[in-house]
Amino acid sequence: MISWLSENAGMTGLLFFFGVFCGIAIWAYRPGMKDKLESHKNIPLRGDEA
Amino acid sequence: MTNLAEKMNYNDDIVKLFTIATIFWGVVGFTVGVFIALQMAFPQLNFGEYLTFGRLRPVHTSAVIFAFGGNALFATSYFVVQRTCRTRLWGDGLAKFTFWGYQAFIVMAALGYVLGVTQAKEYAEPEWYADLWLTFVWVSYFVVFMMTLKNRREPHIYVANWFYLAFIVTVAVLHLGNNISIPVSLTEAKSYSLWGGVQSALIQWWYGHNAVGFFLTAGFLGIMYYFVPKRAGRPVYSYRLSILHFWSLIFIYIWAGPHHLHYTALPDWAQTLGMTFSIMLWMPSWGGMINGMMTLSGAWHKLREDPVLQFMIVSLAFYGMSTFEGPLMSIKTVNALSHYTDWTIGHVHSGALGWVAFISFGALYYLVPVLWKKQSLYSLKLVSLHLWIATIGIVLYITAMWVSGIMQGLMWRSYDSMGFLEYSFVETVMAMHPFYLIRALGGLLFLSGSLIMVYNLVKTVRGNNVPDRVEGEDVQAVETAHA
Repeated sequence: MISWLSENAGMTGLLFFFGVFCGIAIWAYRPGMKDKLESHKNIPLRGDEA
Repeated sequence: MTNLAEKMNYNDDIVKLFTIATIFWGVVGFTVGVFIALQMAFPQLNFGEYLTFGRLRPVHTSAVIFAFGGNALFATSYFVVQRTCRTRLWGDGLAKFTFWGYQAFIVMAALGYVLGVTQAKEYAEPEWYADLWLTFVWVSYFVVFMMTLKNRREPHIYVANWFYLAFIVTVAVLHLGNNISIPVSLTEAKSYSLWGGVQSALIQWWYGHNAVGFFLTAGFLGIMYYFVPKRAGRPVYSYRLSILHFWSLIFIYIWAGPHHLHYTALPDWAQTLGMTFSIMLWMPSWGGMINGMMTLSGAWHKLREDPVLQFMIVSLAFYGMSTFEGPLMSIKTVNALSHYTDWTIGHVHSGALGWVAFISFGALYYLVPVLWKKQSLYSLKLVSLHLWIATIGIVLYITAMWVSGIMQGLMWRSYDSMGFLEYSFVETVMAMHPFYLIRALGGLLFLSGSLIMVYNLVKTVRGNNVPDRVEGEDVQAVETAHA
């Protein structure tokens, strides 16, 4: 397993990172997430006064 | 949610210290920049051994990137992380150590440069002892920032903090990776790098380009994601786009470094890889720019009324322009003309002056009245004057360098009918002289603008206190009423 991974590190690394990135993009843009994620944009504007 | 009545008791003293340091080092760095620009035009200005161009150039680059830019990032990150986490900055003592420790690093590095102590690695010139010291300071910075995030009372970590954290972590990794060296002895400044040959060059530009990507881009995008919405009084255009922006920038930037080594001993595939990732970078860069600018969507009138907001939006325009130019210059055929010429210097300054400095000026104009609890800035007209003088300075600078650089590149590659080079090197230098004068004038205008800012901010701090004003409340509404 380890030797196979080291021999194919370039391709497995590429696929791993590309997969993770696609996962993040799909997670952020899946329809149900819109309201939840977009609500975070108000954090700087919500009562941070000292 | 935080109880608004509760006194937050943020640590703003540390933010004030870093803000003052930002302004101070900014003026120092711009002044040295103007001086070395004049040295290029008038070589007689190279006095003695300590003040030659070769020694002052790293003083300029380190002063503007690490001293001005670095202090701006410390100031704004400490300000933003407290507000968006609704908790006091962790570790007053350690935070103070990051301030004095970082200033000590700057002085240590600059003294080394004028005395001729250097590792000869661009943007990583400080020798091993200064590098080691910076490592302690930087780890302390990381601890302060992380512990503040850990203590947060807001469940979600706002996106500006992601950019700041990526900047802190990546700069630590880059700094350690590129500076592994063995000192000749513990009592000597000289050291030898662990890396050699083309591997050393690749590691240097992995460091160098990611210093641009994570120090001068990710960190300042942290500023953008907090201060643009704050000043505009509107949330960022799309939070989901900011997530995509963050991850695509992080994933792609780290691979772009080899474009600094086109047509060298670096294997061809690595050069092509660097070029390809540089072109891909165009997308996240513009995604971020659009996200920042569209924050004003539906409220564009604010841009007409508020010169501080103008600073921020013009900075995003320069960000968009220089992140279009960068991928273009990374294409090997374009690079064959542009590399080693003044075009590169022009490109760097459209990013450094237009994006990094302008977003920092915008943040400073926002921060100073808030930190010193003043009702408004001393004069918005002076902000506007600063904006215009500095913008004209940048335009003069970058257009002069475009013309000079492309001319330089074309002169280098000109052959006559016999196959001999048409121009000697000194002829290219003589041809560039007028453009060096224009560049120095541009720099002088930019420096003048920063002095106007210093005057305006000093008058603001000395202005009347507004003790009962709630911080952050409609700063620009009050100010625009005075405009």
